[in-house]
Amino acid sequence: MAKKPIGTPMRRTDALTKASGAEKYLSDMHFDGMLYARMVRSGIPRGTITDISLPPLPDGYRFITYKDIPAGGNNELVMIKKDYRCFAEKDVRYVGETIGLLVGPDRSVLVDLLEQISVSYEEQVPAVTIDEGLACKGGAFVGENNLFCDFTIHKGDIDAVLADAHRIFEDEIITGWQEHVHLETNAALVMPDGDKFVVYASAQCPFYVRKSIAGLLNRPYEDIVVRQTTTGGAFGGKEHFPDVLAGPLLVAANVIKKPIQLVFDRHEDGAYSVKRHPSRTRFKTALDEQGNILGMDIDVVYNAGGYESCSYVVLQRGVFHATGVYNIPASRVRGRAVATNTFPSDAFRGFGAPQTLFAVETHLCHIAAALGVDPLALKSKYFLRQGDPTVTNGHVFEKVVIPEMLDQVLQASGYKQKVAEYKRGSGKGIGISFYNHGGAFTGNGEQMIIKAKARLHKRADGFVEILVGSTEMGQGLQTAFTKIVADTLGIDEDKVLYPNPDTANVADSGPTVASRSTMIVGKILEGAALKMKERWNESEDFFTEDEYKHPEGHPWDQVTFQGDAYIAYGWGVCAVEVEVDPLTFEVVTKGIWSSHDIGVPIDELVVHGQINGGIIQSLGYAAMEKLDFHPKKGFKQVGLSDYIIPTSMDFPSQGASLVHNPYPYGPSGAKGMGELVFNGASAAFIDAVSRAVDKDIRAIPIPPETLTELMA
Amino acid sequence: MVETCYIPKDLAEALRIRKETGAHPIAGGTDLMVSHRRGTGVVPKFPWPVMIITQLKELQKIEEEDGEVSIYAGSTCHEIEVAELVPYQVRKAASLMGAQSLRNLATIGGNICNASPKGDLPVPLIMLDARVELVSATGKRQMLLDEFIDGPKRTKLQDDELLARIIIPQPKAPFTYLWYRKIGTRRANAISKLSMSAAATVDTHGIIVDFRSANGASGPKVARSRAVEETIIGLSVDRLAERLPAFLDAYDVILSPQAMPQYRRSSTRRMLEFFLSEVSKRPDTTIIE
Repeated sequence: MAKKPIGTPMRRTDALTKASGAEKYLSDMHFDGMLYARMVRSGIPRGTITDISLPPLPDGYRFITYKDIPAGGNNELVMIKKDYRCFAEKDVRYVGETIGLLVGPDRSVLVDLLEQISVSYEEQVPAVTIDEGLACKGGAFVGENNLFCDFTIHKGDIDAVLADAHRIFEDEIITGWQEHVHLETNAALVMPDGDKFVVYASAQCPFYVRKSIAGLLNRPYEDIVVRQTTTGGAFGGKEHFPDVLAGPLLVAANVIKKPIQLVFDRHEDGAYSVKRHPSRTRFKTALDEQGNILGMDIDVVYNAGGYESCSYVVLQRGVFHATGVYNIPASRVRGRAVATNTFPSDAFRGFGAPQTLFAVETHLCHIAAALGVDPLALKSKYFLRQGDPTVTNGHVFEKVVIPEMLDQVLQASGYKQKVAEYKRGSGKGIGISFYNHGGAFTGNGEQMIIKAKARLHKRADGFVEILVGSTEMGQGLQTAFTKIVADTLGIDEDKVLYPNPDTANVADSGPTVASRSTMIVGKILEGAALKMKERWNESEDFFTEDEYKHPEGHPWDQVTFQGDAYIAYGWGVCAVEVEVDPLTFEVVTKGIWSSHDIGVPIDELVVHGQINGGIIQSLGYAAMEKLDFHPKKGFKQVGLSDYIIPTSMDFPSQGASLVHNPYPYGPSGAKGMGELVFNGASAAFIDAVSRAVDKDIRAIPIPPETLTELMA
Repeated sequence: MVETCYIPKDLAEALRIRKETGAHPIAGGTDLMVSHRRGTGVVPKFPWPVMIITQLKELQKIEEEDGEVSIYAGSTCHEIEVAELVPYQVRKAASLMGAQSLRNLATIGGNICNASPKGDLPVPLIMLDARVELVSATGKRQMLLDEFIDGPKRTKLQDDELLARIIIPQPKAPFTYLWYRKIGTRRANAISKLSMSAAATVDTHGIIVDFRSANGASGPKVARSRAVEETIIGLSVDRLAERLPAFLDAYDVILSPQAMPQYRRSSTRRMLEFFLSEVSKRPDTTIIE
C-alpha cells in the first residue's frame, strides 16, 4: 500500500478528551490541604506605597509580600530581562502590579478579606500613551528617557536617497493593545515536595517558569519542577506571564509549606495580564518622478508598559519585518520600546511583526491611492525574490512563491474583476495584503541561546514516548509531533505518546514560541526517531536524543543586527472583501481568501484550523478589538461583553490554499506557521474598508463609530 | 454567599415574602448573578435577601385577550422570539439578545426591571405603548412602561410588588411598515450600541395615519416623543420629503445629550431618513430592512 502523505489529516490526539469535557485543567486539580490565593494589586498607575492596612486575618490566612522572600533570594522574575519584580516594594509602576498574595483555605473568605485591604499611596503623574512615555510625562522612570531600548538598522544610504527624492511621502500608522483571550484564564499551583517544589502551570514554556522563579528562593533550577497542565489556549499570553503567578506562589509555598492554587477570573485576566504592544510607525518614503519607491525611513515605537520583559526581542522582530515582503532599495529602521505606566506588553502571536507589517502594507496602500494606482500594482513591483537582500543585509534563501500564492488568491477571490466593479467610495471594496514571518528565534538565537534537545523513550511495552518541553496549547502540536515520530519510525500514530511535559524528565527543547516547534523541535525529533529506528529491535527499553544543528552559511551579528535575521520565512497572501452599511457604517465582511507557504503541512486539518483562527484573530484586531486605557484605572474593556472578539457570525467561511515549498531543514519539509497566519489579514481588511469608503485609515481598530468620525 | 434566599412555590407565596421581607426577585439571573459575582469558585453575594421566581408557573405565559397581547414577566427571550402572538419588533429584539444560552434563561421581567439604558426589549415595547401590570399581596395596578422605567437602573416598582406582565395594546389599524435595527458591538452575543424601533401606518390615500419611533442605548432611558411623531402624522407621503429635515432636527433633540459619541445621533438620523423615504415609496413589503 502506498504511504499516505504526512499531511493527510488524522484525528487530533487530544480531540476526544477535549471535545467530551474529560480533559482536566489546572482549576480541576485539588490536593489535600490545598489553599487558594488572590492577588493584592496596585490600584494606581504610578506612585509610592505609604501604607498597607490589613484586616485581622483569621487562622490559616496569610498575606505574603516581598518581605517573605528568603535571604539570598532576589525579588525578580527572570524573563529576557530581570527587571520584572515579583512583588512591588515601595513604588508601583502600573495598575495591577502585584503587591502581595493573600492565601487561605476558603475562597469566599479571601474575597471578603481582599475587599478590606486598603493600600495608601503617594500618587505621581503617570505616562500612559506612547507620546506621554516619550515626553517623560511625570518624569522618566526608566533611565533618563523612558526607553527600554533604541536601535537602528541601515540598508544603503537612506539620507542620500531622501535628499535626491522627487517626493517624500510621510505617513503615520497606529495600532492598539490586543488581549489574548485564551479560553482558559491564567492559572498556576505550587506545592512543596520534599526539598523541592512542584509548579503546575497553564503555560507555554515550563523551562522558562523554572528559570524565572528559582532565584526568588536562591535555588538551582532543578529544585523547581515544572509540570505543564493541559493548556486551554495561550497565543503568547502564557510565554512569560505564568512567571507572574508562579513567582508569588513559590514564595508563599516556601513560607506556608502547603499546595496553593491561583486561578484568575475572566475579568481579572482581562484587566491584569499582559497585552500586545500598541505601536506607532512613521514613514518617510522617497519616490522618484515615476512614483517608484527609492527608500524608506521608518521610525517604530512600541508601548512596552511598566517592565521590559521581552520587549527588546519583540521590537527586534518588528523592526526586521518593517519593510514587509518587499525589496526596498534603501532603508533605515529605528526601533524604540518606551516605558509607560501601563500593564507590561508582552508576547502575542506574531511577536512584534504584525504591527510593522500592518503599517507597511497600509502605508503602501496610501501611496497607491495618492498615485492613483491599484495597491496590488504598486506592491507587486517590489516582491522579494530568492537571493534578494533583506532589510538587515542578509539574503532570502528560499524560493519565494508569492507569484503562485497570488495567482491562487486572485482566482479564488475574483480580485481584479471586483476592483474594476467596486469604485472607491462605493461602499464595497476588496483589499489584499502580503506578509511573511521569520521562522524560529531571531538570528542565531537557536544556536547560541536555545540549544534545543529532544528525547524519545522506547518503552518495553512497545510504546514510544516523546519527552520534550514543547507544549500543546490548542495549536495541535501533540498531533504534529506524534505524526513526525510515527512517520519516521514507520509505526502507527497510536503507538506514540506525548504526555504534558515535566521538567524533571524531559529534554529542554526550548520554549513553545516563535513558530519554532514544528520546524525546529520537529526536526530534532525526526533525528531522535532515526536513531531509535536503528535500534528498534533491542529488547530492553531505551532512550534516544538529538540536538539542534544550525544550517551552515547564515552569518548574523547580534550587536549590529546585520546578516540573516531568519533562516527561513513563511509567506502569505490574503484578500478580504467588505461592504459598509451606509446607514450605520457597520462593516460586513463578504469574503476571505488566503494562500500560504508553510513549506509542507504536517497535518492539513491542524493547518486549516490555524489559518482560520489566525485570520479571524487578525480581523478582530483590525475591526473590533478595542482596548482603551483609563489613565487612573487601567484597561477599560476587561470582560467578554466589553472586550469584543469576533464570533463565528462576524466573518464568513474562508477560502484557504497552500503552495507546497519544502524547506530542507524542516521535518518532511515543514516550516513554522502559527504566527504567519495572524500577520496579514488585518491589512487586507483595512485596505478593503479604505477603498469602500474612499478614506485613508491610519489607526486600528476601526469600529463603526470611529469610521463615522472618519467620514464626517 | 447568599445571606437569605427564598424559593416560593407559587405567586401568592412570592407576594407574601415580597411584602414581608422585600426580597429582590431573581429569575434568569443573567444580570444579577453577573453583577454580583465574586470570582471563580465563589458564590455571588447580594446586599439584600433574594427570592428565586423562575419556578412560578403563573408568570410563564404569553396570551392574547381582547386584542391585547400579554407577555408574563417570567417569559424568556427565547419564548418571546418564537411566539407568533408577539409583534415583530419585540420578537426581533428578543432574538438578537446575547447568545442562545442566555436567551434560554433571561426573562422579559428582568430585562425591564433591570432598567439598563442598553436594555433591548423596552425599545419596541415603549414604541408599542405597552403597559406593565404590577401585583402585590394587596392588589394590582397598571401603568405605561415608559413611565415605569424612571431612569437608568430605576423603576417605579414598590418594595412589595412584582412585575406580573407586559401588555401590548393593538394599534387602531395594523401598521403598514415596520423597522427594527440593533447595532451591537458585533453580529451576535452583543450589547447594543444603539437600537431603533419604528412603525408607520399609511392609509389607502397615502396619508400617514400613525407613526412611532423609539431609540435605545441613546440616553438614560428609551427616547420617544409623541409630539415629534405627530409632526408627520396626517401628512401625505408625497409631502414627507419636504417635512423630513425639520422632523429629523426635532427628533435629534429628544436624544439625550449623553447619546454621544456623535455616532448614535448620526446613525439614528440616517436610519429614520431611510425608513421614511422607503415608506414614502409605499412598497409592498411590511418589514423595511
